[in-house]
Amino acid sequence: MSVQDLFVILPTLVVVVWALALLLVDAWIPKERKSLTAWLSAAGLALALGLALAQRGLSPLMAFQDMVVRDGFAVFLEIVFLSSGLVAIALAFDYLRRLRIEHGEYYPLLMISVAGMMLMAQANDLLIVFLALEMLSLPLYILTGIARPRLDSEESALKYFLLGTFSSAFLLYGVALIFGATANTSLPGIVEAMAGVSATVPLFVAGATLLLVGFAFKVAAVPFHMWSPDVYQGAPSPVTGFMSVGVKAAGLAALLRVFLVAFPSLAAQLSPLVAALAVLSMVVGNLLAMAQTNMKRLLAYAGVASAGYLLMAFVPYGQGKMAGESVSAMLFYLVAYALTSFGAWSVVVALEQSEGRGLEIEDYAGLGFRYPWLAVPLVIFLLSYTGVPLTLGFWGKFYLFRVAVEGGYIGLALVGVLTSLFSAYYSLRVILRLYAVGTPQVQGQRWLTLLAVLLAILVVGLSFLPGPLLQAMGQAVLALP
Amino acid sequence: MSDTQLAWVVWAVLLPLGGIVVNLVVGRRLGEKGIGAVASLAAAGSFAVSGLLALALLQHPEGGIYRLATWFNLGSLAVDWSFRVDTLSVTMMLVVSGVGTLIHIYSIGYMHADVRHNGDPQRFRRFFIYLNLFVAAMLLLVSANNFLVLFVGWEGVGLCSYLLIGFWFEKGEGGLGNARAAKKAFIVNRVGDFGLLIAIFLMIGAFGTLDFDGVFAQAAQAAPALLVAITLFMLLGVTGKSAQLPLFVWLPDAMAGPTPVSALIHAATMVTAGVYLVARSQALFLPVPQAQAAVTWVGGLTALFAATIALGQYDIKKVLAYSTISQLGFMVAAVGMGAAVAGIFHLVTHAFFKALLFLAAGSVILGLEHGHEHAGEGHDPFDPQDMRQMGGLRKRMPLTFAVYLVGALALAGVAPLAGFFSKDEILVAASERFPVVFGLLLAAAFLTAFYMGRQLILVFFGEPRSKAAHHAGESRPLVTMPLVVLAVFSALGGALNLPGLHSLEHWLEHSLVGVKEGHFVWAVALGSLAVALLGLGLAWLVYGRRAPTEQDALARPLGPLYRAFERKWWVDEFYRLVLLRPLGWLAQVLAGPVDLGLINSLGDGLGQGSQLSANWLRKLQNGLVRSYALVVMVGVVAMFAYLLWVR
Amino acid sequence: MNAWFHPLVLITFLPLFGLALLLLLDGRNERSLRWVALLTSLVTFGLAVWALLLDRQGALTELSLPWLRLGRLAVRFHLGADGISLLMVLLTTFLMPLALLSTWTAVQGERLKGFLALFLLLEVGMNGVFLALDLVLFYIFWEFTLVPMIFLIAIWGGERRIYAALKFFLYTMVGSVLLLVGILFVGLQVGSFDLPALIQNRAAFAGAQTVLFLAFGLAFAIKVPLWPLHSWLPDAHVEAPTAGSVILAGVLLKMGAYGFLRFNLPLFPQASQQLAPWMAGLAVVGILYGAGVAFAQKDWKKLVAYSSVSHLGFVMLGIFALTPQAVSGAVLQMVNHGLSTGALFLLVGMLYERRHTRELAAFGGLWKVLPVLSALALIVTLSSLAVPGLNGFVGEFNILAGAFNASALGSVWFAGLGTVGVILAAAYLLKMFEKVFLGPLVHEENRSLADLNIREVLTLLPIVVLVVAIGIYPQPIFDLISPAVERLLMLAAQP
Repeated sequence: MSVQDLFVILPTLVVVVWALALLLVDAWIPKERKSLTAWLSAAGLALALGLALAQRGLSPLMAFQDMVVRDGFAVFLEIVFLSSGLVAIALAFDYLRRLRIEHGEYYPLLMISVAGMMLMAQANDLLIVFLALEMLSLPLYILTGIARPRLDSEESALKYFLLGTFSSAFLLYGVALIFGATANTSLPGIVEAMAGVSATVPLFVAGATLLLVGFAFKVAAVPFHMWSPDVYQGAPSPVTGFMSVGVKAAGLAALLRVFLVAFPSLAAQLSPLVAALAVLSMVVGNLLAMAQTNMKRLLAYAGVASAGYLLMAFVPYGQGKMAGESVSAMLFYLVAYALTSFGAWSVVVALEQSEGRGLEIEDYAGLGFRYPWLAVPLVIFLLSYTGVPLTLGFWGKFYLFRVAVEGGYIGLALVGVLTSLFSAYYSLRVILRLYAVGTPQVQGQRWLTLLAVLLAILVVGLSFLPGPLLQAMGQAVLALP
Repeated sequence: MSDTQLAWVVWAVLLPLGGIVVNLVVGRRLGEKGIGAVASLAAAGSFAVSGLLALALLQHPEGGIYRLATWFNLGSLAVDWSFRVDTLSVTMMLVVSGVGTLIHIYSIGYMHADVRHNGDPQRFRRFFIYLNLFVAAMLLLVSANNFLVLFVGWEGVGLCSYLLIGFWFEKGEGGLGNARAAKKAFIVNRVGDFGLLIAIFLMIGAFGTLDFDGVFAQAAQAAPALLVAITLFMLLGVTGKSAQLPLFVWLPDAMAGPTPVSALIHAATMVTAGVYLVARSQALFLPVPQAQAAVTWVGGLTALFAATIALGQYDIKKVLAYSTISQLGFMVAAVGMGAAVAGIFHLVTHAFFKALLFLAAGSVILGLEHGHEHAGEGHDPFDPQDMRQMGGLRKRMPLTFAVYLVGALALAGVAPLAGFFSKDEILVAASERFPVVFGLLLAAAFLTAFYMGRQLILVFFGEPRSKAAHHAGESRPLVTMPLVVLAVFSALGGALNLPGLHSLEHWLEHSLVGVKEGHFVWAVALGSLAVALLGLGLAWLVYGRRAPTEQDALARPLGPLYRAFERKWWVDEFYRLVLLRPLGWLAQVLAGPVDLGLINSLGDGLGQGSQLSANWLRKLQNGLVRSYALVVMVGVVAMFAYLLWVR
Repeated sequence: MNAWFHPLVLITFLPLFGLALLLLLDGRNERSLRWVALLTSLVTFGLAVWALLLDRQGALTELSLPWLRLGRLAVRFHLGADGISLLMVLLTTFLMPLALLSTWTAVQGERLKGFLALFLLLEVGMNGVFLALDLVLFYIFWEFTLVPMIFLIAIWGGERRIYAALKFFLYTMVGSVLLLVGILFVGLQVGSFDLPALIQNRAAFAGAQTVLFLAFGLAFAIKVPLWPLHSWLPDAHVEAPTAGSVILAGVLLKMGAYGFLRFNLPLFPQASQQLAPWMAGLAVVGILYGAGVAFAQKDWKKLVAYSSVSHLGFVMLGIFALTPQAVSGAVLQMVNHGLSTGALFLLVGMLYERRHTRELAAFGGLWKVLPVLSALALIVTLSSLAVPGLNGFVGEFNILAGAFNASALGSVWFAGLGTVGVILAAAYLLKMFEKVFLGPLVHEENRSLADLNIREVLTLLPIVVLVVAIGIYPQPIFDLISPAVERLLMLAAQP
């Protein structure tokens, strides 16, 4: 183990160590002063974020016998994950106190999950991918159930755990098959192994397909999405918010790197499958979102639909010149989605009452007149989900559709735009409820209002000047083949 | 003609508009007399201008064109606000502004009483504003130098007619009668205007211009079929504006307007616009005999058809209205058969005596209203226009009677009054080219004499048949003075174009194409005179000798035929049945089942469809882990199946 | 010239400045709120006039700045104006102050601030639509106009406002999404979203012309609305607050017709030629159908709404006659409809404020008690039914005359049937006028109605003046638009 090894995984390492330390420290922090734990963990994440930012623009580095890599792609995603972690802390900050579930372990667990995601972004070996996957999932299983003794919380935790392991099994099996086919688990190694032989070795294809299933489960693409609505609804809202962004991003990170590095040769076989997943996710996600009356479920399905849009842009990944376009489009949309989704969740958290009340769309009636500072941002986030101009969501979708059209998949693009009509419908339905008559209950929303407004400003502001973001995208994709 | 002289024509149009502005701005403070004076002076000003132009034309009979400004110029088509000063237009201007002025003056007295009788003195000013607007529009119509500016006047007068018919918009049967009549007039005229518009479109396509000279110059070379299309569509416009078959239905209802309006617009000037149009467009009609025949036949049939209806009317104004339609038939037939001069000649004389008759009828109505109030029956319902309520007014309103007699005889065509000469020229022309139409017109002439005789007797002779008639009294000089003037014109108007001199003909041949040397045929003249006297005499035999009863003396002998006269041959009912009802029903169907039903539900249906499918999909999400796992398995299996079999 | 102070930029974004002021002001100080909004809109109108003068001197430049790159594709911030754009911007900025004036008493309370803010936002979107020369930029403005309008309907609307807002949003979206794909496809074929560049290289996507024409056309046709895509319009118009209806009818509908002119004709010439008869056919159906349905309405505002379907039918007929005369007439008619229908909606609103009903049956004989309002209503009605001497006639006449002799349509039937619509217009508009203003005063509550006050007269008078002025001397407008029309038709003519 060399200095370079440590340097490559430095931010991740910091988060993990800090988290473990914090677990011990937390034991000495009295029950009524748990906010201190929050601050400490936030500090840890902030430190890691600083390191990650410092590592931007460095030439790619390998470590641990090329099992982990640090390149623009990894750094970019690490930044996304760390900021997600910070936002998740902000979301949880007074929510836990309000719902009287202020367990100190919440924050360390969150940090470990973040670390798992970061490792996922760096993984250059299928085993590391699996390791990272478990590392980010296990804490989330616990966090989902942290609202005990609330039944729905524990139930959803169990569901999540069962289905999660189920999908992990697929993934692991896929890894095994690939190892069988190539006697290799490192991504570059796989490429070398398959260099000579034709790509369509059944074992190899089957393994890749199973990996696809595993990732599809994480990004909640139809038909591997079934867990998400229930888990999203059952889990405490801040956790859900974190999952809706972090887990999706992590799954996507793995998908992108593994498939672009290891399986470009399988594009012919896998593209149709990806396309099918994309179409199903866009249609089913949006359609079912229309049918929801519960805000958390609605957002869950909106997330499913977003997964569909993302995968749509991934379909042409095999066409050499398109690969870069697709990745940067997906990362761009990912950022747009992250800001939008966190914004929406911050409003949801603000409205949630104990015992999961205040989550029906009906409960939002009148918010527009009573709490404009929460309502107007929510309007912006919902429009951003739909992709109405002058929100970041518009550029996100625009870029994705552009890639699909340029890749020659106009059909996909049409499905995309037509299904976004459904999203237009449910977004507007909620928006109009905001300005109906009603008296919404909102407590301790100072933090969350601040957060919502901040994110809203980003969502609108960046839509005017997405330039810098697009540049970051450019750097991120440089290293990839 | 010098440009400065030509420029006067603009003032003929602008002066009445000026009158409007003055009355709009300061009218309230001027009081009735002032308002009337302003409006009358404006009209008189136009008359003076027309006179000056006429004098100028005596030196330069070829006239000229004055271009005021561009209206619009779209490369392919340029239309100017340009005016045409020639003998024809100036003749029309003289008639319009002259008769117009007299009627303005008359109206000061008439409306003074009318606004009070109808209980809204505030509307006095509005009346004169409309009247001035009408004069302006009518002068624009006759002085226009292209078909589009003519169309502006054409619809402008129609608009004024709409406003003036609906002047007492809250009166009439059910309070809506007048408003409905006004609407009917406008829409029926629009149907006619549709024809004129299509004709204009055709001319644009064929000639690339709408200026009279430009169009007429190319008419000779144009394809006959095209000319037929143009002229027939134009004819549709004529039947609308000049109340010919089949579009005459609006004119009788138009009598809802105050009497001076009936006299000016619905007798003397506006309704003759169609005649003027055909006369002006002779160059388009002459090359295509078929079109000429069509116009002539429409005129001849209308002349007789309307005359028969006049027999069956009891309303003093309705009789005159149908008589107007009939006389317009004479003019249209004349211009149709190429006897444009005769047509214009009759137009002029008719303007005199029909205006006279209407105004005199107005005087009678005033007399009866006055008598009605005098009889202390001010409030109980009473129709001052029903001839069955009249009788014996000869002694009570001597002056009115005298002028009415002159007008009636002139209309009947008794020599040497104006109507005799003008009508005679038309009959001569007809006898030479359209023997059958000649027969129609002769019959119409006979009926004309008969129904005018009937009217004279019912109104002025015998004994008063109502208290109102009993107490009726002569009208104020402000009312009777114009009557006298018009009576003089009606008596001597024939001098305009006496046989042998043909002064009007020589005057008009500078602006009319294809003017043939008119001549006097003794046989026709004596024949028509005999017919006229026969009609009057017969009327005396039927109505003169015994007091008329509720039922008309002709009702029994003619039986169902007379019923047809009374019911106007059920034309209105016919239109209501085959046109208005179905269209109204169609509109309902479109608005209801089609729009809200079909088209609307197309959109909503899509929405509901997706909502339903969403609710169905939702059932899969049943919250059971095992079924979720199942779905995952299905997904995986499907993927492998694809890889194995499809690839 | 400094980009920030480019006249077109100022016209587009000045309302944002007024918006900022509004947000700073105290929401209870209604007076100053109204004045800020009104003055902003007036200044914007002034700027539009300034731009017009510059253009007349040939001193009005385009503005084209790089905005952002998406991979290989650039989106430019490209604003430019020809005669048609300028005319539309003038119409927008002219109607805006009047619409705001009409809300002086109609909208009150703590929500006023939001109302005015949305209105200014709307103006940004509309001006942008008429000035944008980059397809993506255009699309952004096009979509953006939706948002404020939705809220204006949904918050200040009538009984069924939610339904109307949803319907309006979804109908428009259906068109927009296909427009988006169309734009992407076109842009990728040429490698640019810049309109001039696209027209230059339109051969690149000539193969897919018909499909693209339809993809673009659907969005525009729904907006116009072209029959049978109109069913969003009656609901939106009726439920929207008066000022909203005025802008909706006055400007938003024109965006559709403008889209056809600005994009479909020059980008897809052959398709335009081939589909012209079909478009004209739908337009004519719209003319007659709209008139018929309007005739059967019992609600005054619905009647006016359906009359728009008929009137816009004339506009579409004129555009797809593809002759200079007809297209010029159509462009003028876009303005005319904005004026006359806008004024009609204002009148409906004024009476609604007094009577709180729009049922035709609730009125009748109003001329007796409201002479001023009735006189103005008469002029507006006459302009709407195209009486010569008023603006409506010049537009409709040139549309019909042009279409009648148009080779692109190849038949006189389109214009012939269209001319029948002129008769029907008289039928339903005079029926409307009779039901409201003529006849006896049957309802007691109408006896005590107050006639127009100064503010209301000032709201209507500018329109009435223009109605007469354009009717008598429309040439300046034709001089303004003719070069643009000629250019578009030249582009549409050559393959």
